[in-house]
Amino acid sequence: MISVKNLYHSYNNDKNYQVKNVSFEVNEGEIFGFLGPSGAGKSTTQNILTGLLRIQKGEAIVAGYNVRDMSKEMFNKIGMSFEQSNVYSKLTAKENLDFYRKLFDVPTRDSIELLKLVGLEGKENIKAGNFSKGMKHRLTFARSMINNPKLWFLDEPTTGLDPSIAANIKSIIKEKNREGVTVFLTTHNMFIADELCDRVAFIVDGEIKLIDSPKNLKLQYGDKLVEVEYVKEGEIITEKLSTVLEKDKKSLQNIISRYEIRTMHTKEATLEEIFIKVTGRGLI
Amino acid sequence: MLKRIWIIFLRDLKVNLKDFLSLYIIIVPIIIAILINIFTPSINDTTINLALLKCENQEMIDYLEQFAHIELFDTVEEVKKRVEKRDNIIGILPEAKKHYIMTQGNEPEVIVEYAKLLKTFYELDIKMDDTNAEIIEFGRKVPPLKKTLVNLSILFISILGGMLITLNIIEEKMDNTISAINLTPTTRLTFLIGKSILGIFFSVFGSIALIFITGFREINILKLLLVILISSILSILLGIVQGLTNDDVMNAAGSVKLLFLPLIGGVLAIEMLGDKWQKFFYWDPFYWAYKGNDLVLSGTGTWSELLIYAGIIFILSVIVYVFIAKSIRKGLE
Ligand SMILES: Nc1ncnc2c1ncn2[C@@H]1O[C@H](COP(=O)(O)OP(=O)(O)O)[C@@H](O)[C@H]1O
Ligand SMILES: [Mg+2]
Repeated sequence: MISVKNLYHSYNNDKNYQVKNVSFEVNEGEIFGFLGPSGAGKSTTQNILTGLLRIQKGEAIVAGYNVRDMSKEMFNKIGMSFEQSNVYSKLTAKENLDFYRKLFDVPTRDSIELLKLVGLEGKENIKAGNFSKGMKHRLTFARSMINNPKLWFLDEPTTGLDPSIAANIKSIIKEKNREGVTVFLTTHNMFIADELCDRVAFIVDGEIKLIDSPKNLKLQYGDKLVEVEYVKEGEIITEKLSTVLEKDKKSLQNIISRYEIRTMHTKEATLEEIFIKVTGRGLI
Repeated sequence: MLKRIWIIFLRDLKVNLKDFLSLYIIIVPIIIAILINIFTPSINDTTINLALLKCENQEMIDYLEQFAHIELFDTVEEVKKRVEKRDNIIGILPEAKKHYIMTQGNEPEVIVEYAKLLKTFYELDIKMDDTNAEIIEFGRKVPPLKKTLVNLSILFISILGGMLITLNIIEEKMDNTISAINLTPTTRLTFLIGKSILGIFFSVFGSIALIFITGFREINILKLLLVILISSILSILLGIVQGLTNDDVMNAAGSVKLLFLPLIGGVLAIEMLGDKWQKFFYWDPFYWAYKGNDLVLSGTGTWSELLIYAGIIFILSVIVYVFIAKSIRKGLE
């Protein structure tokens, strides 16, 4: 569904790239996650794939169209929910969707039905300008599936939402995926990535560090993680160390030989811990 | 493409009819028209009002009716009463074999002179068929000031049309919705045309309303449309660029104001400056638009003359487009 090769992007058109040599494939029917801290280049990549940013260097094929000369028809097949909600403040929720619907050439979904789906029933005649941030976000999200997209781009779909609403959004994404929609999802929330994605790419400073399924990653790193609690100069210190990485093995040996160990057990790693291990960076 | 242009236009219309600022702009042509009517005598009023006696000879009444509104009264006393009312009406009353003029004293001199001339023409038996230069000069129905104001207002309305486009584009920018539209099958050109329609409609209907209210009903509307549409191109282009390059309404309004300079300059050149200065204004599209409108408003322009002016305005607009095309493309990304 998506094929990206050696993609680079620099906002200043110089050698200081915000996206560096990014390559990946998204298969039809999967949920592919782009996981990385904010500023990593996730939205930039997504905007190149949807044509919002002009492609500078590299190749990208999206839904069968080369991004370099994409046809406007392509947009009948794709949908995108924006990180920053963007709806007409002066139009009501329903007017927003009704207007957008008419811009497509393919059958579209009923506005009221969509508003219900994202929990905005009863709010259809309120101007979007009077909506809270979360409500606007949901309206933007609802709009992104109005043309029944085959390929669905979601930029931070649950960021800033209440847990219950986020859960609702997650179940909608799962349901759509079950119906066969391919999803490209961008997030800095590893729970979302863990829960939804068939495969994730770890991206930091514009570079992909690794691509794999959360399951594989846990198998690979999970049991090979040791949580050790020890006393150093009268203070209790807790550390998580890998039993595979050379550097961690050395420091584990060091701890065992030099300090008093309180507890020590192997542990199932969370995606976040794996991310930190692999990239040396947190997700914030 | 047409469907999408229409949808985008309808959305703008809906929003503008609910928005204070744009609603205000939309009614401006009507306000201007009313103001022009108040401050300049209307076309129909230029033919002055005369009060005559009913028993006056019919031949004279018929003659004067060609040039003036006639009110008839039974007695000299009634004529006198009528003349004393506030409006400008002049009595022509018989005395011996001739006529004398009765005024209240506060009528504009032109009107009194006009009445005197009419009386004299009648007495000298000058007919319409004998038309000589003098009569044509007087037969000029439209006061020049009024024509100038209406013409200027038509140009002003086209700039306001551009401003309406600016407002609607700024709305899209503030809400960041252009990127959402870019992710539909709507092309950039479709979007821009859709955004322009309201401004064009406004220019056309605003100008026509102005023309009707101020009484220029007999002019050739098709010719007027030609000049309005061609001179709107420039306002539309500039409206779009202002919308795309400004992030708030006040800044944009400030830049649009700069357009009034060439507008006023062109008009003043035509109205005030001598022949040798005219060539310095040939670059100014408003100069040509004003000339074109003038021909249409005075009913003297031929199609070929107007097409030449339209062609010049079009070429000047294309030149402007070449300069701003890059900002438009950039603003849409
Ligand atoms: N319009 C822009 N102009 C210049 N730099 C930008 C722009 N948008 C994003 N950036 C920079 O590019 C980098 C990647 O940003 P982004 O793709 O938005 O990250 P993410 O979506 O992963 O949080 C960041 O360093 C950000 O500051
Ligand atoms: Mg982002």
